[in-house]
Amino acid sequence: MIWFLLLLYASIAVALAAFGHRLGRHAFTVAVVPAGATTAWSVLGLGGDEPVTADLVWVAGLDLSLTFSVGPLAALMSLIVAGIGVGVFVYSAGYFAADAPGLGRFAATLVAFSGAMVGLVWADSIWTLFIFWELTSITSFLLVGHKHADPDVRVAARRALLVTASGGLSLLAGFVLVADVTGTSRLSEMSAAAGTSAAVAAVLVMVAAATKSAQVPFHVWLPGAMAAPTPVSAYLHSATMVKAGVLLVALGSPVFVDQPLWKVMGLSLGLTSMIWGARGALRHVDAKLILAWGTISQLGLMIALLSVGTGKAMFAAVSILLAHAVFKAALFMVVGEIDVRTGTRDIRELSGLWRSMPLATAVAVVSGASMAGLPPLLGFPAKEAAIEAVLGLSGAEAWVGGGVVIIGSVLTVAYTLRLLLGLFTGTGSPTPVARGRVRMTVPSVTLGLLSVAGFFFLGTVSEVVRSAATQVNAKAEVYDLVRWPGPTEALGVSMVVVAIGVLAGLVSHRRTEPAPAPMGAAVVDHLTDGTLVVARLITGRVQHGSLPVYLTTMAATAALATAPFLLALDRDVLHAWDSPVQAVLAVLVVAAALTATTVGSRLGAALSLGAVGIGVSGLFLVQGAPDLALTQLLVETVVVVGFVIGLGQLARRFPPVGSVWRGIRIGVAGLVGAGVAIGLAATATGPERPPLPLREASVEEGGGNNIVNVILTDIRALDTLGEIVVLVVVAAGVMALARAGRHRADPPLGEELA
Amino acid sequence: MSAAVIFAAAALAATGTYLITARTLSRIVLGFSLLGHAAVLALLASGGRAGDAPLANRSATDSMADPLPQALSLTAIVISFGLTLFLLALARREHELTGDDLVEDDLEDRRVAHVHPGADEGAAP
Repeated sequence: MIWFLLLLYASIAVALAAFGHRLGRHAFTVAVVPAGATTAWSVLGLGGDEPVTADLVWVAGLDLSLTFSVGPLAALMSLIVAGIGVGVFVYSAGYFAADAPGLGRFAATLVAFSGAMVGLVWADSIWTLFIFWELTSITSFLLVGHKHADPDVRVAARRALLVTASGGLSLLAGFVLVADVTGTSRLSEMSAAAGTSAAVAAVLVMVAAATKSAQVPFHVWLPGAMAAPTPVSAYLHSATMVKAGVLLVALGSPVFVDQPLWKVMGLSLGLTSMIWGARGALRHVDAKLILAWGTISQLGLMIALLSVGTGKAMFAAVSILLAHAVFKAALFMVVGEIDVRTGTRDIRELSGLWRSMPLATAVAVVSGASMAGLPPLLGFPAKEAAIEAVLGLSGAEAWVGGGVVIIGSVLTVAYTLRLLLGLFTGTGSPTPVARGRVRMTVPSVTLGLLSVAGFFFLGTVSEVVRSAATQVNAKAEVYDLVRWPGPTEALGVSMVVVAIGVLAGLVSHRRTEPAPAPMGAAVVDHLTDGTLVVARLITGRVQHGSLPVYLTTMAATAALATAPFLLALDRDVLHAWDSPVQAVLAVLVVAAALTATTVGSRLGAALSLGAVGIGVSGLFLVQGAPDLALTQLLVETVVVVGFVIGLGQLARRFPPVGSVWRGIRIGVAGLVGAGVAIGLAATATGPERPPLPLREASVEEGGGNNIVNVILTDIRALDTLGEIVVLVVVAAGVMALARAGRHRADPPLGEELA
Repeated sequence: MSAAVIFAAAALAATGTYLITARTLSRIVLGFSLLGHAAVLALLASGGRAGDAPLANRSATDSMADPLPQALSLTAIVISFGLTLFLLALARREHELTGDDLVEDDLEDRRVAHVHPGADEGAAP
């Protein structure tokens, strides 16, 4: 089933890319199919005890395989990915105008992303996970850059790609170390890693998670990614792709449980992001940016909770992940609907929408309340669990973690209130509103209802979350989401949080300062530009377009690569010559080769080449290879004739060469000569001859006494056939090149007669 | 292994390298030819010391040279022959078209190095 669903995603994506432009908005109807099937299958998989696995081994020796394992956590994640995917595809059909350009491409990329994300959450082999991780980065880049005619959009897309792709490199390096330390590439088989390599791997993997989940200081790409169409923001940049980092931290936590750096990094990245993100959400006036910064903040909370490492925190993190996916996607959908129907999403301009868009208002209020952690909504028990988890810590962790999470929660309530007040109320005249679109309303209302339903079916939700959290931390088994905890410490804290948050929200709503410049983006843009400058510099240096320099570089590199052979030199296997004739011939060959190199006339060079060939034939004869000697003589004759014919029209003398360049070439040539000598001497086998099993085979099976000929015509017959084909092709090419010139030289027949 | 053969192969490789890094196509052809000789000699030398021709009815197994590298070398000789002839035809054609047989630099590649780094390559010029 795993293969079927993944192939379904792939084939639908390809089909939409090819034919989607003919379908218009119906492309999204097709796109719903794989997401719907995956949703249904994930729901069925939620209750299963044994993970469903799929395995396709590619290179067993290198442990390269496509391996999936769908346990409770993977099923929950794919339910989120595919379920919200269904909503987003329906929503997209309403969001875009019927004649919007590039709908087929957009739908295809969105399906491809959805499939990649599903593959990512199902992956069991870290290499499989890495491949899908990178696929989500690429599809995210394409989706952010959908409106590619706008230069700002291109910059934003490039920024998103560079940040997430550099995180991908970090992930690859981390995974290589992890596989080395733990001795396996299967997440399900990994045990806690120890040692320096494990510590380095922990840092690398955490950095990768932070880039994907937009944690400070890697967060700058996410607000920029809001340049994407709103369905993309709702899907990739709040509900799913940015959760990949969170999932990675969850999956990594059992492996890095003994690494203090993992915990410290996760906590500091998460807590900083929680506060910094909330600060951003309080300062922006574009509703999508408010939501994006809010996402950074919420992801920070999840990563911090996962890094704490206790069962309770793990449990709380998974519940928030689920609740966040539901309410944030709904909020994005509402903001997108407002954007489409009013033409703006600036909270200073919008006014009176609560009257004209009551349904959207209701969805936003419900989802916002869930985000703020108010009952009777799914966000409430999740946030209670989080506060309980941090209150249960001890020592400095309790003070720092507890303090930051509480401040972060206050700010969350504040920016939620500011957003809702800004979107739906206002002092100006009511904003004119265009007609509603059913396909935009249905998904957002459904998600809004889910936030409510989650609270009333809390038992089921709690069970699902518990089994998912238990998969990575067995201690999460004992926890439950509770509808109403009674008068506990955490509830008291929550009430204070809400009270202060509401006050802060009212205050910040009053403030109407201009939108600040995107924080931190300038730094990344400088880095991006710097990378491009360096890339161009290197390209300019390396790819300079000069064939001689390419060849010199390659030859020098190859020659230097033989240096290690110096250690393997053994004088005993060498002797001066097999016979004195061999020595004389070798000297002759070298002399002729030097003449061919230095002589100034083309004819002289061609004749010297002939001399080299004859000398080499002699060496063949001495070696005991008469066939080779004969062939070489024949070939050499033809080549010399060819030189004389082919170059007959050229100037007699070669053009002069610059002296510096010539010096370099002589140096490199010397290196190559030395390299060949060292390589040959080091690999020499010594005086004894290898056994000759071919002798009997040649006579009895090949029916020939000339063993070399039998090898060529019987044993390597196919190779010889290929060789003959090469010669035919060469002959055809030579003929074509020779005749190409002749045609032009020939005068037309009629003229000749006249 | 015979030092004389190693010496010859190394010298052929060195002169061949020197020639293929030239700008004149006819020199490059010469260089390829010399490199081909070097490769065949190296291949042959790797089969052990000299011996009698590998003819089953004439030579004793003990004194026979290894036939396998010889068979491989024969292929190498033929292929390098084909390559040499084709390059020669190219050099001739180049001369017919341009009047000489110099290998020019790729101007497109040169241009890459000189594009203004700050410019957005996607923007209309």
